[in-house]
Amino acid sequence: MVVAAHPLAVDAGLRMLRSGGNAVDAAIATAVTLNAAEPFASGMGGGGFMVIHLAREKRTTVINFREKAPVAAWPLMFKEKGEAENEWRTATGLAVAVPGALAGWDLALRRYGTRSFADVASRAIEIAEQGLTISKTFSDINKEEYERLAKNAGPGNCYLNEGLPYEPGDILRNPDLARTLKFIASKGVEEFYRGDLAKKIVAAVQANQGIMTLEDLASYKPEEVSPLAGTYKNYTVMTAPPPASGGLHLLQLLKISENWPVKKWGRNSPAAIHHLSEAMRFIFADRGKYLGDPEDVDIPVQSLLAKKYAEAIAAKILPDRPLGFYPYGMFQEKKAKRDNTTHLCVIDQEGNVVALTQSINDFFGTGIVPEGTGFLLNDHMDDFSSDPQSPNAPGPGRRPLSNMAPLVMFKKGNPFLILGSPGGTRIFAALGQIILNVTEFGMSLDEAIEAPRFFSYSAEGKPKPVFVESRIPQTAVLELQKMGHQVEVREAYDKYFGGAQGIMVVKKGKVILGGADSRRDGSGAGY
Amino acid sequence: MKNTLRAFLISLAVVGSFTLAALWSEEVKAVFDKPLLITSAGQNAEVQIVAVLAKRAGLEYSLAKLATAEDLDNMKTLALVLGTSLKGLGAAGLDMDKERDRVTALVAEAQKRNIPLLCLHLGGENRRGQQTDELITAFLPLAKMAIVVKSGNSDGIFTRVCREKNIPLIEVEKTADALDPLQKAFR
Repeated sequence: MVVAAHPLAVDAGLRMLRSGGNAVDAAIATAVTLNAAEPFASGMGGGGFMVIHLAREKRTTVINFREKAPVAAWPLMFKEKGEAENEWRTATGLAVAVPGALAGWDLALRRYGTRSFADVASRAIEIAEQGLTISKTFSDINKEEYERLAKNAGPGNCYLNEGLPYEPGDILRNPDLARTLKFIASKGVEEFYRGDLAKKIVAAVQANQGIMTLEDLASYKPEEVSPLAGTYKNYTVMTAPPPASGGLHLLQLLKISENWPVKKWGRNSPAAIHHLSEAMRFIFADRGKYLGDPEDVDIPVQSLLAKKYAEAIAAKILPDRPLGFYPYGMFQEKKAKRDNTTHLCVIDQEGNVVALTQSINDFFGTGIVPEGTGFLLNDHMDDFSSDPQSPNAPGPGRRPLSNMAPLVMFKKGNPFLILGSPGGTRIFAALGQIILNVTEFGMSLDEAIEAPRFFSYSAEGKPKPVFVESRIPQTAVLELQKMGHQVEVREAYDKYFGGAQGIMVVKKGKVILGGADSRRDGSGAGY
Repeated sequence: MKNTLRAFLISLAVVGSFTLAALWSEEVKAVFDKPLLITSAGQNAEVQIVAVLAKRAGLEYSLAKLATAEDLDNMKTLALVLGTSLKGLGAAGLDMDKERDRVTALVAEAQKRNIPLLCLHLGGENRRGQQTDELITAFLPLAKMAIVVKSGNSDGIFTRVCREKNIPLIEVEKTADALDPLQKAFR
C-alpha cells in the first residue's frame, strides 16, 4: 500500500510494488513523482527524513537528508537584515540551504532498494513531459504564493501560466524537469552535486544574493542514523531524531498526556484541548532552549523524554486556566510562518515499511528555479533562529532544526501505525492528536486524520492563542475562552494544521488501512 | 433517497444563484480615469495579480500594499482588492483591526477627494470567509464598479450588495479574464 499527497505519486509507488520493487523502491518512486505532481511542497531542491523498517531483520533505521547551511553562513546573517529579515530568509538566495533530497533518495536506494534511479524516476518523467492537471489545491496555493514566484522564478517559468497563476483544470507541463531527471538517470546523482546541475544551482542562488558555493554542494552527504525511540503506554514509536524535532516533541506530548484521563475527558472536550494546549506551550519552551543541530549542540533528548519530566510538566498545568508563563521560552515567532511539506507512507508484501517526510519549506520554496532545470530551491535557511545565541542559530554547515516527524508506531513489536504530516511547527501536535484519536478514542485511521484539530504554542515564555478548526464545537470554544484562552477559529479543514498520511496494520497484518488527509490532495491505494 | 433530494436542492440553489449572478453581470463602461492606486483590503496575494493585469492593460498605476492617504496624491482611481490573507497580514505585521482601520481611513480620504473606488475580488471561494465578508460588507457599497471571479460569488454576496447599491458588477470565470473588463473600465 502507498499513501501520499497526490494520486499520481501514489500510482507511481504502486506500480513499483506491483513490478516487484520493495517498500524503499516504492517510497523513492513516490517521492520523486511528488516533485512532478506536487512540486510546490517538495522536490530535489529540498530535503527530509525517512524512517525505514526492515521486516525480516526487525530493524528500524533513519536516513537524514536534511539540508545544510552553506559554509559561509553566520549567526547574524538574518538578524542584521532588520525590517527586511523575513524577505531575506524566505525569498532570496540567502534562504537556500544545500539540498539533500536527491542524495537521500540515492542513499536509500543503494542500501535498501532493488531498483535504479532511472526506474524509480520513470513515472515522474512521464508526468513532467505529458502534463499535470491542476487541482484546486494547487491553484489556490499558486495564487497565494504568486508574488514570490513572479519575482524569483523568472520569465517563462512553468510554475506560472503565462505569468499568472494556474486555474483548476489547466495543464502544467515541465519539460525542463523531465530533462533534468533523465540527465540524472543517465549520468548519476553526482551531476547534481558536482556537475553541470551544481553549476546551475549555484548560479541561481548567487544571482539572488545567496552564498552557496560549488564546494557546499560537493561536500553534501546524507547520513544513516539510529531512530529516536520512545513509548506511549504499550506502544513504541520510532521516529527521526534531531535535527528533526517533530518526533521528539510528539513523544513529549504523548508522555505528558499519559498523566491525564484524556479518554474520560472526551475528544475535543474543553479539558482535553486546554491541557494539551498547555503541554504544547511547555514543549515550545524546551524547543527554544535546547534544540538545534546535534552535531553542534548537546540536546538532552533522554531527559526531555523522561517519565519524571513529563510528570513535572503535567503537574504544573492548572486544571481550569492557562498558566500564562512557560519557562525557558526562547522560541521565536516568525512572521507568516506556514512551513509546507509532504509526507508519504509505504508498506510492501514482506512487511517492510517506509515513512518519508520531505519539503522545500514554504510552498514553492524560495520560488527560485535554476535555469533550465524545472525544480524549485528550498527556503530552509528560514528554519534557523534569527537569535545568534540560540542553539538553532545559523552556522557553517549546520542543519537547521526541522519540524518533521515521520514515524512508525509499534504494537507488540510489529508496525501498527505508519504516519507523518506536513504542517511546520503544527506537525507534532497534529500527529499527537491522530494517535490519541486512534488509541484513546477508538477511531479508524481515516476518521482520526479527518477529525478537527487544534494547536497552540508559546513564544518567549508567553502563551499564544489556541487555534482551532471551525468544526471544534462552539461550546468548547466558549469554555476555553471562559478559562482565559484566546481562541482563533480557522477554516473547517485548514492546511495550517497539516496534511497527514498514514497506514494502519491490524489483525496481525491481515488488514491494512490507509488514511489520507483531505486538507490536501492526499490519496492511498493498495493491491 | 435523502442524497438525491439533497443533490436536487443543491442543484436548484446553484442554478438559482447562477441565474441571479448572470442577470446582474453587466456591460463594462469606461467610468474610471488613470492613474490608479492599487491596494488590498486584507493583504491578499491577488493585489499583485491585479498590478500585473493593470500593466498588461496598459494602465498607469501605482501599487502600495500598505497605502495610506498620501499615496492618493495625483491618483484618479482607487482599486481595492478585497480578501483577507492571514499569511499576508502576518507578513505585514498587521492584525485585522489595524488593516480595517488603514483601509477605512484610505477609502474615506478617497471619498473626500472624489476619487472613485473600484473593488475587485479575484481569489474565488478560497478567499471568502468571515473576515473577508466583513471587508466586502464595509467597502463594496462604496464602489463605483466591482469585478469578481465568479466562484467567489457563489452565495450571491456581491450580487446582493451591488443590486442594493446599484453598482455595476462584472463577473469573470478566471483570474486572467479580469484583464478585459479592467482595461475597458478606464477611459
